[in-house]
Amino acid sequence: MNCKRVALLAVITALCVGIQLTPRPPNVEATSLICFLVGFMFGACFGALLGALTMFINGFLSPWGFAGIIMPYQMAGMALMGFAGGFYRKILGENPNSVNHPTKILRLEVSSLAAFLTLIYDVITNIGWALPSGIPIIIALIQGAWFTVIHVASNVVFFGSAFFILVRIISSLLGETSWKSPKEA
Amino acid sequence: MEISKRSLIIFGLGWLTSMVLVGCVAGYYYMEHQNMLKKLEEYERQPLFMRVNICINYKEWNETIVWYNKTFVPLGCNLLNATQMVAVVNFTYWKSYNASFVDAINNVWNSGNKYWMWYRWTSSHWEYGSVGADKYILSPEETVMWRYEIPSYP
Repeated sequence: MNCKRVALLAVITALCVGIQLTPRPPNVEATSLICFLVGFMFGACFGALLGALTMFINGFLSPWGFAGIIMPYQMAGMALMGFAGGFYRKILGENPNSVNHPTKILRLEVSSLAAFLTLIYDVITNIGWALPSGIPIIIALIQGAWFTVIHVASNVVFFGSAFFILVRIISSLLGETSWKSPKEA
Repeated sequence: MEISKRSLIIFGLGWLTSMVLVGCVAGYYYMEHQNMLKKLEEYERQPLFMRVNICINYKEWNETIVWYNKTFVPLGCNLLNATQMVAVVNFTYWKSYNASFVDAINNVWNSGNKYWMWYRWTSSHWEYGSVGADKYILSPEETVMWRYEIPSYP
């Protein structure tokens, strides 16, 4: 990893933690997008690490209070988000489509992926809350249905509107061709 | 536009997500409904609430008759408060009578010689309400009627 990449990664990590800790409406967050993006740009393992680290710090400093027993589940969920970013780039491979002009299909793909991954994140964190409380997982999911809907909807919008723009910006900052397979950080 | 196998799988995941969300939201409202029913049962077991039947008869307006059967009201509730639970009521408190006079129900206002009058159902007929609606305390299962009419005082 060259200096440029290390610097950019440090900035993105700080940004991610900063945004995560900023007071915001419940379940509207940009951390998923940033972790997925970092995973996409710098590799699955790095994305996963960023996700886990962000949620670890968030667990202690969150304006909503100390995460407690749910923290490992949040870390796992966000790590999955970052890992999925890297994995998605891998399955895209040497795609001939230019990232400067992503097709509608590609945008829809990213939005669908965002919806699915957000749901998985919420399922994981609900498990983390339901298990120690002795509540059936399905009940926990149903009780938090509207929070999940808000989370999924906001992430679909964020991913659909910002993901490719951010990929383009980071790619040009790094001076790399966007669709070359990523090197693991 | 060609859709690859990868795209189809990802769209499938998106579709699955939306189905799960719809299921969760439906489940949420089902649970809320069940909780409400349970609460209603609890309230009915306790002697704090009662059910009354309220009829609003727009006779001189458009002849519509609307029934609000089994309306859930607190025990000891007066007719005015009970009516406010099912309709928008405008009223004036008259200090000299120490009672309230209903001016309009659901934006149908007293005008000319037409007024909102109230009645209560006895075992065989409608009996004219003799006091202000806020002075009449309802009994459990009682049936009352508001009628927009040209009053024919007994």
